[in-house]
Amino acid sequence: MIRMQSSWLLESVEELLQVDSVAIPFFHRFSALNWLSHLEIPLFANFPVDSQAMLARAWFDVDKGPFLDKNLHKFNQLLTQPLNKETNPFEPWLDKFFTRQQIDYIYYWRESAYEIEDYSQREIFWSAVYQVMSYWLTNKKYRTEVFFEPDKIMAYYLHYHNEFIRGKQNKVEITSKHLSELEAKECSLVLFPLIFDDDTEEDLLQIIYYAWFHGHADIKLAKKEISLALNRYMIPFNAKSDYSKFLELAEKASSAAFCWTGKELAPRIHEQVIAEPIRNVFKTGFSKSKLYMKSVDKTTDTYDYLLVFKK
Amino acid sequence: MPTTFLNLSLILLVVLLTWLAYKYFELHEIVAPYQKRYKHLLSGIASMVDRIEGYNVRHSAEVAKICERLGIAAGLNLMQLQTLKTAAMLHDVGEILLPADVLNPEKPLDPEELFLIRAHPLLGELHLKKDNDICDEVPAIIRWHHERWDGLGYPDNLKGEEIPKSARILALADAISAMSNNRPYRKHQYSGREEILFELESHAGLQFDPELVRLWGKLIRKDLAEEIAEKLKQDDEEVEA
Repeated sequence: MIRMQSSWLLESVEELLQVDSVAIPFFHRFSALNWLSHLEIPLFANFPVDSQAMLARAWFDVDKGPFLDKNLHKFNQLLTQPLNKETNPFEPWLDKFFTRQQIDYIYYWRESAYEIEDYSQREIFWSAVYQVMSYWLTNKKYRTEVFFEPDKIMAYYLHYHNEFIRGKQNKVEITSKHLSELEAKECSLVLFPLIFDDDTEEDLLQIIYYAWFHGHADIKLAKKEISLALNRYMIPFNAKSDYSKFLELAEKASSAAFCWTGKELAPRIHEQVIAEPIRNVFKTGFSKSKLYMKSVDKTTDTYDYLLVFKK
Repeated sequence: MPTTFLNLSLILLVVLLTWLAYKYFELHEIVAPYQKRYKHLLSGIASMVDRIEGYNVRHSAEVAKICERLGIAAGLNLMQLQTLKTAAMLHDVGEILLPADVLNPEKPLDPEELFLIRAHPLLGELHLKKDNDICDEVPAIIRWHHERWDGLGYPDNLKGEEIPKSARILALADAISAMSNNRPYRKHQYSGREEILFELESHAGLQFDPELVRLWGKLIRKDLAEEIAEKLKQDDEEVEA
């Protein structure tokens, strides 16, 4: 879990220097870019997981325009007949994650999108499937009534996407590179949102979506491939982490920041276990550092943390 | 000897308890007027914000009341409830800093104006946390009262349980109060609690926390059942009379 609070981040960093460009060498949640993407500064974000990179392109590569009505009518049809079970690769997810009707739709949407000639239009269409899956998994978990037919909820999110990009300008450069291919970027701030080895609903959604994106239903394989892509970005809490790669990636930046969310542990523990080891590595490249924290819920010791460095 | 010692201990205990009770009431006497004053001031600021937003009812106070009902049903403790109610009273305080034509527009907002409107939770948080205890959660709850369950809200695009429960309660209460009152920008005005509940239930899992919507549904259905029972009782009494 991470609550990346972009405005808090900029506000805190700007106590030290003016931020005119931001680089995020690894990111795993496209929507958290939203606030930064509104600002008049160039933004670079790398998504090591390809399905997440695709989502980021669909929502932030706004020059390609909204999803077109003609595509909506052509590719978001109401299914009147159940699809052939034999050919549906997502059949193993029946009742485990989705209903019969939902399984048919996720198969239909994946296949029908291949007929959309423009690749960026296809990505927007597929990005809406991510939101729809999230909605259906919530429905299943909380046993809530599904009010919308699949084509309606799909149209709802495509419309939402159109509204989201309305009037926006493209200031985000999105890549999908592995750690070994990444190089330090020249920028005023390099940001590292720390990923812990969690087991949240969002993690499950990302795994399911990754498998779907790759056309199979093998959850174990999807989980393994995501872990591989995020290898060395994932922080094992209470075990020694190697932060030297982070320092390399921050080499050409004037400032660096780490953000993370902590629950059920006092801030002092986070300072000792996470902030101090990072400080020890970063002191060779950055002279100043400051740890900020924000209380979210004192009864569960939930705090958000921000560790900022300046050269 | 032991009896005398016991008696003496009992007397000392009674004296100690009496002294503690006296001190408690003395402290209460001192603090109570301040609490009352604090409540009045909070209510004054809230009503100013309500006016700015174009409400002709005490919207913030209504949101605080709904938050209290929902918070109790959701199992918040006393401290959390107190924090939530304060956040509810001040949830839109950031709007004081926005230009009036953006708050009550005569035409649909352009993207820049929309961005400005969406900054009000941040402005509220920023000004409330200035010179304030870093552990106070009120500013954080205010920051996240426009987040959506599906992660497409603002300002931070938090999703599901990443949004603190108090902020999820405040988001729902704010929507309920807004739907219960006529708003100039809305084409459709809701006819009553049942229609509002239907709207909330259809957006559970999209905009709102499904568990909180369920709790609100239970509370409303209980209210309606009690009102019907009361009405039937009155009718019976009239018939008998």
